[in-house]
Amino acid sequence: MDYIKDKIPPVREDRLRACNAYGGLGCDLVEQSKKGCLNGTKRTFSQAQGCQLNLSLAILNTIIDAVVIIHGPIGCSGSNLSMAGMGKNFQKLRHPEATGLRWISTNLGDAEVINGGEDNLRQAILHAEKEFRPSAIIVVNSCVPAIIGDDIDGVVAEVQNEVNARIVPIHCEGFKTKIMASAYDAVYHGVLRNLIQPQEGLGKVVTNDLEELKEKYRISRTVNVLNVSSMSRVDEVELSRLLKALDLNLNILPCYAHPDDFNKATEAALNVSICATHDDYFVEHLKEKYGIPFILRTIPIGVKNTNEWILDIASFFGLEKAAARLIEQENLELEAALAPYREILKGKRVLIGGGEIRVVATADLFQYLGLEVIGMRAYHYDQFVDPLLNDLSGNEKIPFNVATGQAFEQANLIEKLKPDLYVGHVGGNGPAAKHGLPILPVFHQSNTYMGYAGVFDIARRLARILKNSSFNRNLGENVRLPYFPDWYKQDPFAYIDPGK
Amino acid sequence: MNKFIERPRYLCTLSGAVATLNVLPRVIPIIHGAAGCGGNISNALNGAGGYFGSGYCGGQALPSSNVYEKEIVFGGEERLAEQITNTLKIMDGDLYFVVTACMVEMIGDDVLGVVNRFRNEGLPVLAAETGGFKGNSYAGYDIVLQTLFREYVQKTSLKESHTVNLWGVVPIQDVFWKGNLRVLKNLLLKLGFQVNTFFGEGENLDNLKNAGSASLNIVVSDTFGIKAAQVFEEIHGVPYICVPLPIGAKATDQFLQTVGDSLRIPKAKIDTVIAEENALYYSYLERLADGYNDLDFQRYSVVVGDSNYAPALARYLADDLGWLPELVVITDLLNDEEKQLLSVRFQGYTSGITPKVVFDTDTNNVSKHIQAHWPSNKSQKYYDSFNPAFVIGSSFERALAEELGAGYLSVTYPVSNRVVLSRAYAGYEGGLRLTEDILSVIVGNR
Repeated sequence: MDYIKDKIPPVREDRLRACNAYGGLGCDLVEQSKKGCLNGTKRTFSQAQGCQLNLSLAILNTIIDAVVIIHGPIGCSGSNLSMAGMGKNFQKLRHPEATGLRWISTNLGDAEVINGGEDNLRQAILHAEKEFRPSAIIVVNSCVPAIIGDDIDGVVAEVQNEVNARIVPIHCEGFKTKIMASAYDAVYHGVLRNLIQPQEGLGKVVTNDLEELKEKYRISRTVNVLNVSSMSRVDEVELSRLLKALDLNLNILPCYAHPDDFNKATEAALNVSICATHDDYFVEHLKEKYGIPFILRTIPIGVKNTNEWILDIASFFGLEKAAARLIEQENLELEAALAPYREILKGKRVLIGGGEIRVVATADLFQYLGLEVIGMRAYHYDQFVDPLLNDLSGNEKIPFNVATGQAFEQANLIEKLKPDLYVGHVGGNGPAAKHGLPILPVFHQSNTYMGYAGVFDIARRLARILKNSSFNRNLGENVRLPYFPDWYKQDPFAYIDPGK
Repeated sequence: MNKFIERPRYLCTLSGAVATLNVLPRVIPIIHGAAGCGGNISNALNGAGGYFGSGYCGGQALPSSNVYEKEIVFGGEERLAEQITNTLKIMDGDLYFVVTACMVEMIGDDVLGVVNRFRNEGLPVLAAETGGFKGNSYAGYDIVLQTLFREYVQKTSLKESHTVNLWGVVPIQDVFWKGNLRVLKNLLLKLGFQVNTFFGEGENLDNLKNAGSASLNIVVSDTFGIKAAQVFEEIHGVPYICVPLPIGAKATDQFLQTVGDSLRIPKAKIDTVIAEENALYYSYLERLADGYNDLDFQRYSVVVGDSNYAPALARYLADDLGWLPELVVITDLLNDEEKQLLSVRFQGYTSGITPKVVFDTDTNNVSKHIQAHWPSNKSQKYYDSFNPAFVIGSSFERALAEELGAGYLSVTYPVSNRVVLSRAYAGYEGGLRLTEDILSVIVGNR
């Protein structure tokens, strides 16, 4: 893979077997996708969702000592308003000196739509430098400047000489892709082109051969663990614990990293993803350019996947025996701790919504805990979920809905499937709660979700939430969703058009 | 030409339009635009609006045509027509309202043309052009009101002498909008008037439909909803007055007098209501005679907010609470005429205090204005410091308050560190609530 010589990364429709509209069975989804049947799917009724710019911001806002410039009309930076307060807290968990989110909107108006917005961008970059003296200035491009033809890379190249901060253009214009996850590629594209510039020997003084050997050894036992913006610090601690038990060192990237940390990405023996659809663009390029191998196969959510994740990494370093001992010990301890919860959770029927990889991994986790998975909803689909989906028990009969949001399909599914519990991501939980269901929110910066600690914490939280779901039950009895009663009688996927 | 804004406290025209439609009873907004616009806006309305949530038909339920590259190249009118047709089948509402995002305006979709096809069939569909580059959230509020006043409010020659309409309190940008509307409505009820606020408790679309029979429009703002008031006057012949948002006894006394005079209410009646309200207000405030004076509750203060809240909070602090609002930063995008109008609102305080007022959209500049206003310590042994101090602003000002070692309460948008339901800061009732909230911060670590 080598896209990074281009200014603009490809969108996922062009690069992967990706789709955002499907309703049916998981096994059919994989088959149809392989035949290319899902390329033209669309909705004839749709609801608001995120775009790749929103998701790019979620990642970029975590970067320490950066200023993010949102090049567009004033609304495009809007979701930052809700993230500003807690973003600072999450940054401080990793870097106590963190300043929190700093951003600038170039505030494009009527005049700029006609005359171009490059000057606004130039002024904003110079202001960011003068006002904050950041390590990086990240320029996020939106729909409007893309249509009016602003050359943001040109502006960046021109202004870079005047500022110390490294300027990182990110091409994540919302209208260009139906697949919000294209954001991952857009962000990594900017990082790869502008923040990873390893220079041999720079910043390190090697005084003797022994030290050089030690450094080489350290790098040979170092892995880059690629985190995601919706995981918690506790998740990172758990994954670190497991890999440190194998005597490995970790760099954790890209979220909550300092711009300078990205150079360290090349000083590792292995790149380890925790979510294939999040990281393939990054690890493929690091392999291509710097020869660093990677592991992309699985996500450390649930016992089976965590076991495999550890084993995959251990095998690379020839540490299978140590890993087997670790896994055996961890599984024993966890099993004992889970015993009291199994009775409470047994047979509870659950509908799960969220990112494709995590939804299926979570389904496996819930089956392990004794719940019955009766439906899954994924933001998008691509081939990275195929192995997980094919392995999932009962996959041949569990309904699978690919939808970025699309609460009307969710509402219909909930009324048809009548789950005991809904498990979902931010945004989908509120509408589900109005059905009166207990909700377990997952995938959040405050929750423990990964590794063995994650399994225990989810069991513990599930049991707590199921103990008293009065709040949502009361809601269900007293508020209503905005759909005609007739909608619930129709096929939940009636407005998905398979296209040609 | 626009200037960039560092950490703006508002979104775009489309956002203001969506927020306004979100809180109008049984209205289904339909975004015609790119997929991310709606999601982005919903994040800001919920997470920065005191956890407003998604309302009846917001958040992920908000219909949106989600146009992509194909529509940008070939036009999105067909997609819009399909979206409206299917929205009418699925979403249960009494009025459907199409609002446009940047992209479809830039490619020149004839949105009004598409919507008129539905209207001609007698279907309740309206539309407004609200492309994000047109202005900020407040502009979106104004545009939606203008459209509703033109297209939805019924024309009538029958005027009801004891009915008024009231707006200017911008939903979600005023995080306490619903409580504030309730309080203001109740005050006018005491003067013997029926009030349509369109968005308030217990109201429905009939309040809006029949608003043309009102005898006066009261715009509780110098800057928001003004064009809508002009449209209303032009179409329905109802005059309007602008009054500032009243917080606390002093400002609310004046509110009642101004509104009462405009409605030609006998002075004796106004005076009676004011006297009753003050008696109640001070029956509560009396409790603080001890706490305020034993513990010396007076503070220097900084107020940061929009052109409704900043004057209202500063005046309440000075004239009701007896504090020293040293610096007021108004963060809106304003023209010179609007700035002039607002400056007048900081004059004539009963306390004799005159705060320093600056207009600045950029968040990081607030602390610079404090440094410019208050002399810094030049290694003096005896230094008159900016202490004890209190900051009232948005969530953004938490860091400023920490820097100053000041107490802090978030009142102005964005508010992500408080949960807001029915709370009001307007009127006498709101003055008491605000007093409780501010002073609770001061005693909060006991």
